[in-house]
Amino acid sequence: MAASQTSLSDTSVIRRARKPLKARQRESLWFYLIISPWLIGLLLLLAGPMVYSMYLSFTNWDLFSAPEWVGLDNYIRLFTRDRTFGSAIGNTFIYTFLYVPLNIIFSLAIAYLLNKHLPGMRFFRTVIYLPYVVPVVATTMVFRWVFAPDNGLLNGFLGAFGIDGPAWLLNPSWVKFALVIMSLWGVGSSVVFLLAGMQGIPSELYEAAAIDGASERHHFFRITLPMLSPVIFFNMIMSIIASLQTFTQVYILSADPNTPNNAIVMIIPYLFDNAFRFNRMGYASAIAWVLFVIIFVFTLLVIRSSSAWVFYENEMKR
Amino acid sequence: MNRRIGSAEALSTYLVLAAISVAMIAPFLLMVSISLAGDTATVQMDFHLIPQEFNFDNYVRVFTTPNIDIGRHILNSLIIVAGSIIGQVVVSSFVAYGFARFNAPGKNALFLILLGTMMIPGAVTLIPQFALYRALGWLGTFAPLIVPNFFGGAFNIFLIRQFIVRLPAELDEAARIDGVGPLGIFWYIIFPLIRPIAVAVAILTFQFNWSWFLEPLLYLQDANLMPLAVAVRTLSATTSAGATPMWNLVMVSSMLLTLPMLLVFFFGQKYVFEANISGGSASIK
Repeated sequence: MAASQTSLSDTSVIRRARKPLKARQRESLWFYLIISPWLIGLLLLLAGPMVYSMYLSFTNWDLFSAPEWVGLDNYIRLFTRDRTFGSAIGNTFIYTFLYVPLNIIFSLAIAYLLNKHLPGMRFFRTVIYLPYVVPVVATTMVFRWVFAPDNGLLNGFLGAFGIDGPAWLLNPSWVKFALVIMSLWGVGSSVVFLLAGMQGIPSELYEAAAIDGASERHHFFRITLPMLSPVIFFNMIMSIIASLQTFTQVYILSADPNTPNNAIVMIIPYLFDNAFRFNRMGYASAIAWVLFVIIFVFTLLVIRSSSAWVFYENEMKR
Repeated sequence: MNRRIGSAEALSTYLVLAAISVAMIAPFLLMVSISLAGDTATVQMDFHLIPQEFNFDNYVRVFTTPNIDIGRHILNSLIIVAGSIIGQVVVSSFVAYGFARFNAPGKNALFLILLGTMMIPGAVTLIPQFALYRALGWLGTFAPLIVPNFFGGAFNIFLIRQFIVRLPAELDEAARIDGVGPLGIFWYIIFPLIRPIAVAVAILTFQFNWSWFLEPLLYLQDANLMPLAVAVRTLSATTSAGATPMWNLVMVSSMLLTLPMLLVFFFGQKYVFEANISGGSASIK
């Protein structure tokens, strides 16, 4: 972001020096005219709705009669009396804290293997990326059969090693792991980002380290990992934000009467049910704002912690 | 890393990658296998990774069976996707042109707001937007799914702006001297030059809208208007208690949902990888 800002101010310095006042005003006018579609969308579809949603979270509203002001009641109920909401938060956190680190570890390992200069790597890269483009709806459909208790693909595989696999989607303590495994099938997207990052690391660094007699493990932990940390950081923020908003898989699986719903309910599916099944628009808006705060806090924590573990190349030059 | 790789290391690398690839491909194979299963096997839920039967007529039945009518749902998806692509490509490019080529007080702040909006969870605007579209009488039409694209998308605007900034400003300058106005410069100079990134945006918009689930489910309300992604899940939900879904036909529909994504990926991966990586690395530095 710093780079884009510098380029913004660079051009403005040059232009401002050259142009008379009137031309500058005309340029401003053009700027606002050209970006007006986005500005209008920002006000009508984002800022306006956000303010309204904030207001709704302090009301009871069934969509048909006028909203009724109830102050902090919705929030108080969420945190003191609503046990399903507690489960929704717990499940979402467990899923996120399992998926995000595992996704980083697996994608790092796979990218590391793909980065070896061996023939055929392009083929493996494509195969590993493919699952990521499958729509979640289709993924969920097929993974019901991957996870089927008796004749499922996964338990069949485990059975070959004499392991008696659990009932996965039907078992309250395993269903979240099943969701994590399903999401990890799409690890290829992170792999591609990390691989691009690895290929951008200057080879002189490795050559210099090799002269100093550094081992393969040193190469990975002292050069590759620090140089990749900005990519990992970006990946981590995006995957945390996405995981906290998991919806489609949970919505589809919950429709099955055999699914342990309490073990699978997450924040957005619970919001959806409240708003569009029970017409509790105010209550659902309060859930939305709790989620907003959760996402904001997590993003902030990751950004705050980043100075300790994210390494930027230009830091060296200072 | 120009290290020489020993044959033992090469062999173990290949073995691990092959194992991972098998795990990645197996669910695809299972999808194909179930989609070719006969009705008897489906009722008994007797599915295998390696296809035991080859009922290719399943792929015809989803089109000819009246209460499935997958053709209609594919058409619905295509309408939503086409409308969204036109909106995103044209409007996002135009707004990006504004951010890349014009200076004005407040521009830097607006650009930061643009980046910030990408972090806002859709949940906080979902209910008011639903109320808005309801008040406009748009529920049960494609409008709530298509029209918002004509206000541009933050990520796309950002991607295209990064691209335009790298185009030489002399091009604009030369046209300006020839008396071409700002709109003409966009249409005749910038728009033709940003084709690679416009293609990437079109592909990303396709991928997003083709698999989109929540909002279509919410806004369309009429089963006949549902896009393919929602229709697949409707087909998988049992209609009457005790009845098993036609899993073979569900998987045929899942295949039809997946194949266009694979095709677009194969033809467009070059554009998307470049765009994602330049956008991604630009935003983290």
